Amino acid sequence: MKIPIHRNEPQGIIKNLFWNQQQKIAPYLFIAPFYLLFVVFMGYPLISSLVMSLYEMRGFQSRVFVGFGNFTDLFGDPIFWKSLRNTAYFAVGTLTLQLPIALLLAILLNSKFVKGKNLLRLAFFAPVLVAGVFVAIIFNLVYDQRAGLVNQEFLLFGKEIGWLNEENYVMPAVILTGVWQWAGFNMIYFLAGLQGIRQELYEAAAVDGANWWQAFIHVTLPSLRPVIAFVFVVSMIGSLQLFDLPFILTNGGEPADAGSTIVMYLYKNGFQFMRLGYAATIGWVLFFIIAVISIVQLKLLGIFRDE
Amino acid sequence: MFRLPIDAESFPLGKGPMVMLILFFISTLFIFGRSEEQGEDLEFWIFANTHYEEYQARVPIFEAQNPGVNVQLINFGGTMHDKLLAAMLSNFGAPDLVEVEITSIGRFLKGAIDEVGFVDLRPRLESEGWMDRLVVSRFTPWSYRGRIFGIPHDLHPVVLLYRDDLFKAAGVEMTEIETWDDFIAAGKKATRDLDGDGKVDQYAIVLDRRTESDYFSLLLQQGGGFFDADGNVIIDSELAIETLEFFTALFNEHKIATSVYGTWHGDPSNFAAMQDGKILSILAPDWYVGILKSQVPQMSGKWKAVGMPAWHPGGRRTTTRGGTMVGITKQCENPDRAWELLKFTYFDRPGLVNRYETTRIIPPLKAAWDAPIFKEPDVYLGGQPLGELFIQLAPDLPPRYQNPYWSEGADLLNDAIFAAVTEKQTPREALTDLAEKVRALMAKDRGRWGDM
Repeated sequence: MKIPIHRNEPQGIIKNLFWNQQQKIAPYLFIAPFYLLFVVFMGYPLISSLVMSLYEMRGFQSRVFVGFGNFTDLFGDPIFWKSLRNTAYFAVGTLTLQLPIALLLAILLNSKFVKGKNLLRLAFFAPVLVAGVFVAIIFNLVYDQRAGLVNQEFLLFGKEIGWLNEENYVMPAVILTGVWQWAGFNMIYFLAGLQGIRQELYEAAAVDGANWWQAFIHVTLPSLRPVIAFVFVVSMIGSLQLFDLPFILTNGGEPADAGSTIVMYLYKNGFQFMRLGYAATIGWVLFFIIAVISIVQLKLLGIFRDE
Repeated sequence: MFRLPIDAESFPLGKGPMVMLILFFISTLFIFGRSEEQGEDLEFWIFANTHYEEYQARVPIFEAQNPGVNVQLINFGGTMHDKLLAAMLSNFGAPDLVEVEITSIGRFLKGAIDEVGFVDLRPRLESEGWMDRLVVSRFTPWSYRGRIFGIPHDLHPVVLLYRDDLFKAAGVEMTEIETWDDFIAAGKKATRDLDGDGKVDQYAIVLDRRTESDYFSLLLQQGGGFFDADGNVIIDSELAIETLEFFTALFNEHKIATSVYGTWHGDPSNFAAMQDGKILSILAPDWYVGILKSQVPQMSGKWKAVGMPAWHPGGRRTTTRGGTMVGITKQCENPDRAWELLKFTYFDRPGLVNRYETTRIIPPLKAAWDAPIFKEPDVYLGGQPLGELFIQLAPDLPPRYQNPYWSEGADLLNDAIFAAVTEKQTPREALTDLAEKVRALMAKDRGRWGDM
C-alpha cells in the first residue's frame, strides 16, 4: 500500500513529520494499552495503598498522617502474629503434604501401568473447578462434628472431633481441604514436566545399572527442577494469600482466631473495622514477606544459577 | 438507495468487528434512551433472600400507588455490606434505601457524626409520631449520638425452646421454671448418661462458646452491654463479669451445657444433635424458629417455648439477638420519596402480618400485634401460639446500644468468651483484658482525631 506524501502543503509538513517519526512512535503506541491498563489497575492502586499505609482513615472522609505508626502497631499486634503463624502453618502444611501428593499422582498417571488415565486426570483436577466458597461449604459438612464424613465414616479417631470447633484441629482441617482442592492442579504441572523428560536419560541410567529409585533421584527430580521451583513458589504465594477457604470454613477465623490468616485479618481491618490504613499496611507487609520468601526459594532451588 | 459510507469489506478489521461496533452503538443508545424515558428511580439494596422475596411481592403495589416511580430491588446477598462500604467511601453509587445487618452497622458509624452516610431519621419519626408506635428500645442498635440512622425491621425477642418430652422424662416441668437458678437445678436432673457408658447423652442446653451470641444475649437480658448509651466501654463491669462467670459455670461447674455442634446454632451438626435428643433446650430468637421449621421439619411437635429464665424472680424473661434496619443514604436524591417507600415496606400492617406468616418475624410496629395470626396455634410447637408469647415478651426488650467500635469489640469478645470457657483465663481476666484493648484503641483514635 502506498502512503501519500504531501510535500508542499502546510498540513503536509505536519503529516510528513508524523510519517517520519511513526517508526519511532508506533512501538510505543502498540504497547501503550498494556501500560495504560497497568497504570490504572496496578500502578495507581499500588502507590495509593502505599500512601494509605502511612495514614489512618476515620469514617469515610477523614484521614490523618501517622507515618510508620501503622507498621509499629502491626508488629505489636498479637492477632497479626497469630494470623501470620496460622498462614505459615498452612503454607508449610501445603508444601510438605500437597506437593509430594501432587508429584506422586503425576508419577502414577505418567506410568505405563495405570489404566483410565484420562478419567483419573479429570477426577484429580475436578476440585480445582469448584469455587473456593463451595469447597468450604462442602467441607463444613465433611468435618461436621456429629454427622460429618470424617468423624462418621472413618472413625479413625475414636471420638467426635470438633474439627472446626477446637483450636488445635482448625488449621489441619483447612490444610487437608487445601490438599483436596489443589493437589490435582499441581499434579498437572508435574505431569507436564514428567512428559518433557527425555526417555534417553532413563535408558542411559538403566544402562548404568540404576534402579527406579536411583533414576527418580538422579534423573526425574533434577529434570523437574524448574517445574518444582515454579510449583513451589506459586503454591507458597497462594498459601500466603489464603482467605476464602478458612473464612467460610471457620466462620471468620473462630474459635479464638485459630483459623485467622493474614489476608483474613487484612479483610477484617479494611472492611469490617474500617481501618483502611492499617489494612494497607498488612497488605504491604504481606507483599514483602512473599517477595523475600520467593527470592529465597528461587535461589535455593537454583533458578538464578547459570548453566 | 441508502448506502453506508463504509462497507463491510473495507472496514479495517472485517465484518465481525463492524457488526459488534454497530450493536454496541445501538445498545448504548437504547440503554441511555430508556433511562431518559423512565420516571423516578428508587434503588433499594437488600442482603436477605426472605426480605427480597417479601418486597418483590409488595413493590408493584407501591409503584401502582405512586405513578412514575420505579423501584429497583437489588439483592446482593452477603457481599452487600462491602459494596455499600465501597459506595460510601467513593461517595458514588450508593442506593437510595438499604438494609443493614446489626453486626455491620458499627463500621458505617465511624468518623465524625456528620460524615455518617445515612440520613438522620429522627425528625421524620418524631414529626409523624412513629416513635410511640414502635418498640422504642429497638431504635438503640440503629442510633448513635442522638441520631437515628435506621428503622428496625424486627425485634427478635428470644425465648427458651425446649424438649418438653425429654424434660418431663427427667421429672422436670419447664413451665414452672422462673429463674436461671431454677434452670440449673432442672438442668442437673435432665443432663444424663442414659446408657451408663460414662458419657453424657443429653445436655440441658446448647450454647455457643465460639462467638458472643449466647453470652451477649444473656448480658443484654440483665440490662448490660458492651457499650453504654454514652459510648463508654462497660464490658468489664461487674454485671458483665458475673454473667460470664455464670456462662462458663454452665459448662464447667454445673456441666449442663454442651458447646454448639459445628460452627453455629444453624449448623447441620447442631440439628443432628437435636434430632438425636442430645440437646434439650436452646435460646431461640424468632428468626431461629423459622430456620428450625425449614431445616428440621421432622422435629415438628417436639419443641415447646417459654420465656427465658429470669436473673431474679419477676425479672426480664427475654433478650434480643440479631436484627436489620433500613436506612436512607445521603446519596439519595429524593429522601421524601424514599421515606414513603420505607414506610410502605416497614410500617404497613398487612405487609407485616404477611412477614410473620412467611418468616415468623415479629414486627416492631405495635399496631400490627393484634392481628389474629399472632394468636394462631403453631403446629411446630405442638399447637402452642408462639406469636402470642413473642408479643407478650416484646415490650420488655432490652436496649442494645450501638457503637462504631462494635466490630472490633465483638471480634475480641469472641476470643475472651472462648478463653474463659476453656479456662485459659478467668472471666474477670478475659473481660478486663478485652476492655483494656478496646479502650486503648479508642484512646489512640481520640489522640489522632480528637473526640469525634
